[in-house]
Amino acid sequence: MVNDRGQLYTMEGVAAGVIMLLTAYIVVSTTSVYTAGDTHIPDMQLEQLGSDVLAMMDTPDTKGEVSDLEIFVSTNNETGFKNAFLGYCNAKAIGADNLHMSANVTYRHASSNEIRDYPLVEPDNTWTGRESAVRVTRWVELEGNPSGVSGMDPSRPRAVLVEVLLWRA
Amino acid sequence: MACMNEDGQWIVLMGLLVAVGLFFLALIINQSALVGQTTAEGVLEFPKNDIRDLREAVFDYVDEFDHEEDTESKAVRDDIIAISLERKNAVVDFSVGDPEDISGRDLHPITIHYNNGVTEYHETVYY
Amino acid sequence: MSLDFLAGFTIFMLALIMVVSMVPGLLAGLQSSGIDYDAVAYRTGVILVEDPGWPVYPPWEMKAGAYKDEIERMGLAASKETPNILLSTKVDAFFNGTFFASEDYRSKAIFGDIPYSYNFSLRSEDGTYNNATGDPLPPGYGYGYIRRAVKIKEPGVAVINGSFAPQYTSSTANQEFIVRLNFSQLLDPERGPAYRIDPRTEPVSITITDFGAYRNMTLPTPENATLKNVTFWKMDPTVPMPRFTRIPFSYNTEDPDLYTLFIDGNQNNLVPDTEVSENISLVLKPAATSIFTLDQNSILEVRFNFEDDDYPHTNITGIHHYDYNTTNVTCPPLKPAVLEVAIW
Repeated sequence: MVNDRGQLYTMEGVAAGVIMLLTAYIVVSTTSVYTAGDTHIPDMQLEQLGSDVLAMMDTPDTKGEVSDLEIFVSTNNETGFKNAFLGYCNAKAIGADNLHMSANVTYRHASSNEIRDYPLVEPDNTWTGRESAVRVTRWVELEGNPSGVSGMDPSRPRAVLVEVLLWRA
Repeated sequence: MACMNEDGQWIVLMGLLVAVGLFFLALIINQSALVGQTTAEGVLEFPKNDIRDLREAVFDYVDEFDHEEDTESKAVRDDIIAISLERKNAVVDFSVGDPEDISGRDLHPITIHYNNGVTEYHETVYY
Repeated sequence: MSLDFLAGFTIFMLALIMVVSMVPGLLAGLQSSGIDYDAVAYRTGVILVEDPGWPVYPPWEMKAGAYKDEIERMGLAASKETPNILLSTKVDAFFNGTFFASEDYRSKAIFGDIPYSYNFSLRSEDGTYNNATGDPLPPGYGYGYIRRAVKIKEPGVAVINGSFAPQYTSSTANQEFIVRLNFSQLLDPERGPAYRIDPRTEPVSITITDFGAYRNMTLPTPENATLKNVTFWKMDPTVPMPRFTRIPFSYNTEDPDLYTLFIDGNQNNLVPDTEVSENISLVLKPAATSIFTLDQNSILEVRFNFEDDDYPHTNITGIHHYDYNTTNVTCPPLKPAVLEVAIW
């Protein structure tokens, strides 16, 4: 007969293991670990909202009208664009959200065959560069060059891409 | 065998159990992160809004230029293709055919191709 | 090593493996709930904003009362080609708190095995829409959330005011005023669903104001005229020898689900035989249009018949076309709004 004193130790070890597992389980389940996956959700919400707002700004209120978005871009109207976009973005049933934005317009410079951009809305002072901002875009087709933008090639109908950076301050 | 000292057995056994436990825990945490990531990324990575936007841009193009190929329409088409590639990382192409009679209406067959490396989208639509 | 130890330990290990293999399911359920709420909120938002719901024709919002079970899905979009454009009739039906129970919202909009708590709210920029349904939001951020920017499409209204009087008065014709809806014109596919007048899904509103301008001005000047009846007629131009036929309808029953007729502010049925001095307002609900069995080629006429015993008190006559001419029908501009979905 071998010495079976070790059996008790084994049971103790197993019990200790179970207790440790249980402790770890309780710790993990009570403190919510902010995993990398979770950060994607606010991004998804912001991106969806931003796309919606751009799409709605591009939908004229009555048939045959030119959409607000096209007017803002073709007249290079910074405050108009910003107010319309943020007004729509921050609207809630109760209270208001705190979103901030900047916007660029990307166009093709035909003679040099380069893709260039110019700022439509400058970021405000909440922009530090460390925000987890999302980028939403919308195509806008213009009859001619937007007014007040230098460095573009001769006026022609063109398709430009409006890019909006959106972040929560 | 019988003469061997087996006092250390439990230490080895416990170590094994704890290792297995930790392995499982790691697996679980990993999976829970995956759940959030896949749902949100599924939405973020599937470029539904981009494709819708591109379709509307192409429809606007047809409204403006019909199916004519001239320098102006070609420039707009090049705008869309070049900017898509540069800023949206998407290979885009579209063509507009001669209008056809579709149940009493003259509609242009439009083929749209979109590929951003993850999602491919091809469509022939009458507009 | 003893045999009983080996046997016992084997059983113990098997039990432990079973328990451990159950732990991930236990833990995953707890861990992913917060994440799951966001996904469910997103999905519900997509269903509400980008989908017209099911069935489409006749639309789900007309499935009142006993037919509620026929509703498969409640979507608010005007059509699937126009995401984010909501139809006001669908919005009104959706936020009608007496018609839908919380179980309906769960099974027809949220979809999920778990009985989620929810809160939907819709507010337009100008404040005309300020609807909410569901439980009050829990404090903190313990709920899944999505916000969608939308525009609300409202039905058009034909306002026939005094300015039309020269056009629609004649002392020689009979006193019958017709409002004509040509479906092939209204449902022309050239016109996108976001700007379409579709009597099959939206109410048709006809308002005659300044009725005094249509009075017969020959002496003795009457104070009012008698609206004898309002009848509906239809014609199918695709059949040989098309002609208008009177649509059988319970004209003498007041039914606000099918139509409302107000004469000088008083509600009436369609055979009012009542004197009118100021205005007439008729709203024909899509539920009525659907029982008229009209198709996309039909022409529907709403005929207002004025008749007085002694002599014509009004000279109103003619055909008013309910179409896309902005002087004939006023289509209100789309209203910007936000739709919020919270799930927990």
